[in-house]
Amino acid sequence: MIFVIDDDKIMAECVAKACGEKGVRIFGDALAAVGALEDGLPEMIFMDVMLTGPDGFTMLNELISYPDTMKIPIVIVTAMRLSSLDLSEYGVVGVLNKDTMTPTEIKEYVRKYCR
Amino acid sequence: MEVDGILVAAHELKEPLATLRQLAFAFDGMSESNEIIRDKMVSVSDRAIRQVNDLLRLRRLECEMPEMEPMAVRPVCDAVMRELEYLFQYNKRELFIKYIGKEQLAYANRDLLFSVVYNFLLNAMHYTGDETRAELMVRPVKDKVRIAIRDFGPALPMDVWKEMRRGWVEKPTSIAMRPGSSGLGLFIASKFSKYMNAEVGAVRHRDGTSFYVDLMKSQQMRLL
Repeated sequence: MIFVIDDDKIMAECVAKACGEKGVRIFGDALAAVGALEDGLPEMIFMDVMLTGPDGFTMLNELISYPDTMKIPIVIVTAMRLSSLDLSEYGVVGVLNKDTMTPTEIKEYVRKYCR
Repeated sequence: MEVDGILVAAHELKEPLATLRQLAFAFDGMSESNEIIRDKMVSVSDRAIRQVNDLLRLRRLECEMPEMEPMAVRPVCDAVMRELEYLFQYNKRELFIKYIGKEQLAYANRDLLFSVVYNFLLNAMHYTGDETRAELMVRPVKDKVRIAIRDFGPALPMDVWKEMRRGWVEKPTSIAMRPGSSGLGLFIASKFSKYMNAEVGAVRHRDGTSFYVDLMKSQQMRLL
């Protein structure tokens, strides 16, 4: 299972589609995604940082504060210029820029981090 | 911190463009002709997003100077060529590149230089006629590195040429006399060049125009 968290529903659906055959759950905000962690942990998360309500950085802090969720690979999907930041301490394995990303890049992360 | 309304508005404008771009990618199982339409949608979105990003950068440059560093010009030009290759092919134009002399380091900001070359080349593609070519040439000129982009289109009107001779473009509409263009790309290229302490100019040809940017040569070469 992959989580996609983005308050832009169309963008979230595009990312989900690029994930291919994998099961995907889409969330419009971080709180809904945190609530869903109780049902089972995702193999990875694609997440925007500018979210309605608690932002993506709050979500990252939440995830690294528990031993089970801190291991979930996270890919930030954003229009902000974050690629130069090292967010690996927060479990971030990559940053995709919404302006330039392609489905191939999303598929590549899925192939690498999902069994 | 005060919120800049222009920056917020630009981000709002950019978001649907990025979404449309992803929607275009989401089409699959299409015929060859529809694939061409999809590629065109992506390409048009890319260009529009880049222009919004350039305007955002221009706004930010009013408050902070760009970071400058010695850099090889060739990889930047090659990267622009790769990005615009499809667009040139699609519009039935050839893109020709020539590097003259030993590789020189210039003093520039990579992102700004990329945008300058990108906008000059886009301008050349627009004005070069069907089945003809645009040329990009890099060569040393005294203590500068010159990147010149030549098109084979209508000759540049005299008043526009005079404005370019002055070294910059005051505003997009000031060079709108050349048919079919607002001059936004040249305006952006001109402004970015100024922020890099580089000079832009134009050479009139009977069968087209060359726009160029002269970058300061980096002194670091002397240490090599």
